Formats: sequence, C-alpha cells, structure tokens
Amino acid sequence: MKGQVEVAVAEAHEREWSRVVGTFVRSTRDLDLAEDAAQDAFVSAIDAWARDGIPASPVAWLITAARRKAIDRQRRETNPLRKLPLLIVPGDDDVLPPDEIPDEHLRLIFTCCHPALAIKVRVALTLRLVCGLETATIARLFVVPLPTMAARITRAKKKSAISGIAYRVPEAHELPKRLPAVFSVVYLLFTAGHTAPSGDRLVQPELTRWALDLASIMAQFMPEEPEVLGLFGLLRLSDARREARVDSKGHLVLVERQDRLRWDHAAIQEGIVAVESSLVRTRGRLPGRYAPQAAIEAVHSEALGYEETDWQQLLCLYNLLREVAPSPIVEMNRAVIVSKLSGPDAGLAILDDLTDWDAGKHYYLFAAARADLLRRLGRVAEANAEYRRALALTDNGIEQGFLPERIGETDMAGA
Amino acid sequence: MKYLLMIYGPDDWSETSTPEQEAAEMEAHDAFAAYLQGRGAAFSGEALHPSNTATTLRPSENGDGFMVTDGPFVELKENLGGFYIIEAADLDDAIEVAKHCPNDHGIEIRPVLEFDS
Repeated sequence: MKGQVEVAVAEAHEREWSRVVGTFVRSTRDLDLAEDAAQDAFVSAIDAWARDGIPASPVAWLITAARRKAIDRQRRETNPLRKLPLLIVPGDDDVLPPDEIPDEHLRLIFTCCHPALAIKVRVALTLRLVCGLETATIARLFVVPLPTMAARITRAKKKSAISGIAYRVPEAHELPKRLPAVFSVVYLLFTAGHTAPSGDRLVQPELTRWALDLASIMAQFMPEEPEVLGLFGLLRLSDARREARVDSKGHLVLVERQDRLRWDHAAIQEGIVAVESSLVRTRGRLPGRYAPQAAIEAVHSEALGYEETDWQQLLCLYNLLREVAPSPIVEMNRAVIVSKLSGPDAGLAILDDLTDWDAGKHYYLFAAARADLLRRLGRVAEANAEYRRALALTDNGIEQGFLPERIGETDMAGA
Repeated sequence: MKYLLMIYGPDDWSETSTPEQEAAEMEAHDAFAAYLQGRGAAFSGEALHPSNTATTLRPSENGDGFMVTDGPFVELKENLGGFYIIEAADLDDAIEVAKHCPNDHGIEIRPVLEFDS
C-alpha cells in the first residue's frame, strides 16, 4: 500500500502541481503562501492516503487540503503584512467568456505573467509556480547560479504580495503585451524537457510534449500572430530529432553524427510549413526571435548529411537572429558556423571576444565549443583541458556522455 | 490597499513654464481630483517646491548627532514634484488610477505599508 501511495502522490505531483498552485494563483496575492500550502498538501497526502485510501479525485483532495493548510498557515502567521486579506477572487472563475484562452494551463501561464514584474522575473516565477519546475532547473535554463535564481523568485513573490499584484485571468486586450513572456515560458519549458539539466535522462518527454501542446493550442487560438507559428515550428523541428539524439548506450549524439533516417520527417515537414507561414506573415518587417531560430533548425533538418549543410544560409540566419535577439549564446553558435565557412581560428576569435559573458565561464556548451575549435586547430593540450572543464560543468549524465570520448582522443593525440 | 503615486519631473519646470502651461497643469490636477472623488474612496495629495529647495538631514558619521546638507537625498535629473495617496483594490487598479493622473515624465507607484489598527 505504502509503495502504491507514494507512486500516486508522485504522479499527482508531476501532473497536478500546477493545478493545485494554480487555484491559489487565482485566489491569493501571496504566492509564497500558495506554494507552501501546495507543498504541505502533497506531504500530508502521503499519510492520509495510506490511512484512508487513494481518493477518487486526487486533485480535488489536494486542492481542498491546500486551502486548509493555507488557512492554518495564515492563522499562525505573526508578520502583520501576511495577515492582509488574501482572498480577492470574485467567484466568476467558472464562467468563461467565448474569447477565453482555451486551456487551463495556458490560462494560468498568461495569468502569472503579470507585467508589473520584470520579464525575466515573470518567466522564472511562472516556470516555478505554474509549470512546477525546480528552482535549480530554472537557474540552469537562465544560465545563472542557483542562489541568484532563488533570490529572484523570492523577491518576485514578496513584491507580488506587498504591492498587491492581483493574479486574475487577463482580458483579451491584455494578452498581446503578455505574449513575449508566455513565449519564453513555453520555450524554456520545452528546453527543460529537451535537455533535462540533470539526471540520467537527456529528454523528459512529458515536458517537451506539454510545451508542444501549449504552442499548438496558441497557434490555433491566435493564428494571426506570426511569432506563435515561429515558436511552434521551432519546437516541432527540435523535437523531430529526439530519437536520433541518444545512441543505444544512452550517450548524447551531436547533430553531425546523428542518423538522419531516425528523424521524424513528418514532424519536420509540419515544422517547416509553420516556419514558412510565420516568415510570410512578417514579410517586410523584422521577425521575432523564434522564427529565425526555427529557420535555422529547418536548414539543419533539410540537409541530407552534416557536410551538405548550407552553412552560408545558416550564417545569414544567425546574422538575422543576432539583429533581432542578440545574446552571447547566439554569438557562440554563430562562431561555430563561421568556423565552418572561414576556419576554426575565425570561430575561436568570436568565442574569445565574449570575455564579458560571465555566465559563459560556467556554461558547459561554451567550454565544449571552444574545445572543439582548439582541437581542430591542433592545439590539443588546450582542447583537452577545455573538454575536461566542460565535463565538470554539466550534471546531466547523458550530456557528459560524448565528452570522455573527446577527452580520450585529445589525451592520445597529446601523448 | 493604499498606494503612493509619486509624480516625477524636471526641477526647473516652474521657471521655464508659461502661465498658460501652469493653468493647464492646474486644470489637469483638478480633473484628476474630480476623478478620484468620483471613485468615492478617500485620497490626498500635495505639490512640492523644486528639489533645489530641499534640505537633507543624515545621522553624522561619528554617531553623535546629525549632519544637515543643502539639497535632495539623491541628486537626479528628474525629481519628486508632487504626490497623491490613493485607495485601490490591487496593483492593476492602482495603475488604472495612475493612468488618469497628469503625467509628463513618469509616476512611481508604491504600496503603502499598512498596520493592523
């Protein structure tokens, strides 16, 4: 029984966490309390379900328990600030107007992405509260240290409570302003699943599937929005390579060595159609950040072999991406493309120009990219040291997979 | 909830503005006051003299008294020129109120810390 209960609680946690917290996001200003109460409810479920049996509707049980826990916590609270009236919800949550966002999770994501918080903060808070990602995972997605992210989320919850941010479902005219944050949430949710930042699995398909579903619902709900199609295309194309990204031993296989027959070509077609219609709709204007990324994925997907990749077109797309969404990560990837066209030293020069990028110093892909270019330049000892550094910087067992091989190669060459 | 609306603007406004501009400004604030009255909840507000008339009092470094300096707490290009204290249901509501307030350069909205009786 105990084992069964633990499995049931774990499953409910995976599936229903966001709904349990979400009920509060709609009914309280105190997100800290919402999270603590949800946590309490899951913990109490372990004993209660073992004693009374697993309830017919675990989620209803958890929501009721969380409400009770919240009231208990409020009573115990000695801080006068947190004794402020918390329940602000009008009871009309169940009646949805016809232009309402057609998915409960998506509605919660839009609700949580309140513009009174800085966009980075909004996105992190939503990933934590609505998507249920661990703070450590979110820190890795933002390439910042864990304490920085923990402090950011704590501050966001504090500001929400003190300044009276009301988490209510936004009206249709408020949606466009919230879109960039919502896109980031869906994209990062996918990224979290696509490259699980730690553990033995490279992919957490439940997260990638969830993100794809959200993007697809948005594409149907707001078809006039070109960025939605760009995002959907990007996720579809990235996901199409999933099967080929891990070999039979469970090691990460880089694009250059993937078996292209194992790609999902129907998904690739669907992705390419989305990217193309996104770009057609933005013709004459600059696209957003997702369509160019999706187009980059499309170029990779259309190449018959790695060596046949259209590097020139990729460079054009990276130059466009750099214009609409400049970031050190874009520069890092552009360096790899430049190295294909103009040689590894040109690529290395771009990487070595990124000296101001502090987070890059702790980013395993940056170390791995540098190592690769050094290896191609024949600077074997330096390459070896960078591969070792890259290995030390990732916690994902499968991502680590390809690095020992490279370290081995450069060890031998250096001997 | 109570919120403080802090209205920022350049210090030299009263020196560079024309009588017509000043009359228009007064009218705008009267209209805002009428809007607040229409909402029904209590409010208050004042306009301030420019920040070059400010005096700042800081605890002295050796801890045995105070140091008085001529000027505002922080020198800024745009300074606090006036404020309102308003009542609003939540931040969205406070932002809605602030949208009605005369605003040429920016308004900072701050929640007021309220204590139980």
